[in-house]
Amino acid sequence: MTVQYSELIQPERVHGSLYTDQDIFAEELQRIWYRTWVCVGHVSEVARPGDYVRKKVASQDVIMTRSKDGEVSLLLNRCAHRGNLVCEDQRGNSSTFRCPYHGWTYRNTGEMLGYPYNQGYGGKGKLSLNLGRVPRVDTYQGFVFASFAADGPSLKEHLGAAAGELDRLARLSPEGEIELTAGWLQHRAKANWKLLVENETDGYHPQFVHGSVFSVTGSHIGTLYSDKSAAVTRDLGGGHSENDLRPEFRKMEPMNWFGTSEARVPDYVAKMRALHGEQAEEILIEGAPHVMVFPNLFVAEISVFMINPVAVDETVQNVTAVQLKGAPEMNRRLLSQCIGSVGPAGMLLADDSEMYERNQRGVAARVPEWLDIRRGAHRERIDENGFRIGAANDETGMRGFWSHYRSLMEGKAR
Amino acid sequence: MNQWIIASEFAEVAVSLDLDANGPRLRLEDLRSGHVRHLDALELESIAWAPDERLRELMDPSAGRWSDRAGDA
Ligand code: FES
Ligand SMILES: [Fe+2]
Repeated sequence: MTVQYSELIQPERVHGSLYTDQDIFAEELQRIWYRTWVCVGHVSEVARPGDYVRKKVASQDVIMTRSKDGEVSLLLNRCAHRGNLVCEDQRGNSSTFRCPYHGWTYRNTGEMLGYPYNQGYGGKGKLSLNLGRVPRVDTYQGFVFASFAADGPSLKEHLGAAAGELDRLARLSPEGEIELTAGWLQHRAKANWKLLVENETDGYHPQFVHGSVFSVTGSHIGTLYSDKSAAVTRDLGGGHSENDLRPEFRKMEPMNWFGTSEARVPDYVAKMRALHGEQAEEILIEGAPHVMVFPNLFVAEISVFMINPVAVDETVQNVTAVQLKGAPEMNRRLLSQCIGSVGPAGMLLADDSEMYERNQRGVAARVPEWLDIRRGAHRERIDENGFRIGAANDETGMRGFWSHYRSLMEGKAR
Repeated sequence: MNQWIIASEFAEVAVSLDLDANGPRLRLEDLRSGHVRHLDALELESIAWAPDERLRELMDPSAGRWSDRAGDA
């Protein structure tokens, strides 16, 4: 491969071919998707022994299972005999999987159990061909991450400062855990995956792209990204970034981050106060994070997205509503808000999808060759924790994404 | 007769309580082949107590239906 990433990725601009070149996409699979940590799901999706769900890591078909002893595994959906798909349903419960082609049977940990008419192999127990397993699996706050590299940075190292944002999400639950049990929607976009990632923490677009929704609903979200907003965009390092809306939420009443008031979710607020005492006020005011965890996990306060690249110009975005363990009153509202914003007819996602796809068609034009990401570079600051921050609508997060991307693609980071 | 269907993508079995004999039995019917097996109380207790290892042996497809010994199972 002869792509010179240092020429294509500059501090204030990136080259259009990064979104359209097949070779670059193929190299991304190797250097990012099949090497670094990628989020595949959440332990709550396989709550009971024998539960399984099918997942994707780029084009890899993966089965997430829970064994009798509670261990969560990620198996590759490929029979060790002739490579057939072992598992067809999207979810189910079974302690064993039997391949439909010739009946080879495996435990849900991937270990081979047996094969029919065993004399053809010299008898019972002569073969020990197991299902492939994702080499490294680890969880953080219940999110299940996969790495196809046998070694490299630990999940903790990969998450770095983004881990704290997942902690902020979990602490909104009166039991300290979130669950992703509301079911997933899949949105297919004819756009390169990086356009979706960049959009997730782009605070410049909301007032334009979502302007009509904000105006008909009277939503205050638009002003959070205005020039007068005290919110910031933060480069968390490692390609992760966030829109930190807390400076604005702190000016409001508890639960306003969620567009509701204490009076409408009294049981939840009471539980949180009983659990956290005085600190509850801060938690209820600051609310949930708006964070993009490199390369594919996006938490948009009330919704969780997992981005999956399909082709250089095609991406599937999986979306579900955050559910807070022990908070049924909140969960109904979280679900309906999620459906309204990013559901099949969701008002925010419909707008964004249109933008990703227009963006993809636009970058195919040959001139000008570059995409500009300089917004706010001159006014960036380093915050008290050493992170680079910009104004609410600056492109600080995108610049952080690209510098990490570049070091991965050049093999300087893992 | 109450009947439950326990099904996955791998198998489909109708489960019912059979009261036709002198004592109750559990009736299992493999809906894909029509093959039926009755289990009495003591057999069920044994399954409930069987170590995982024994169940795993049963799950080997060559243990019964697809063994080389034609006519077994
Ligand atoms: S391909 Fe799976 S048993 Fe032959
Ligand atoms: Fe948007």
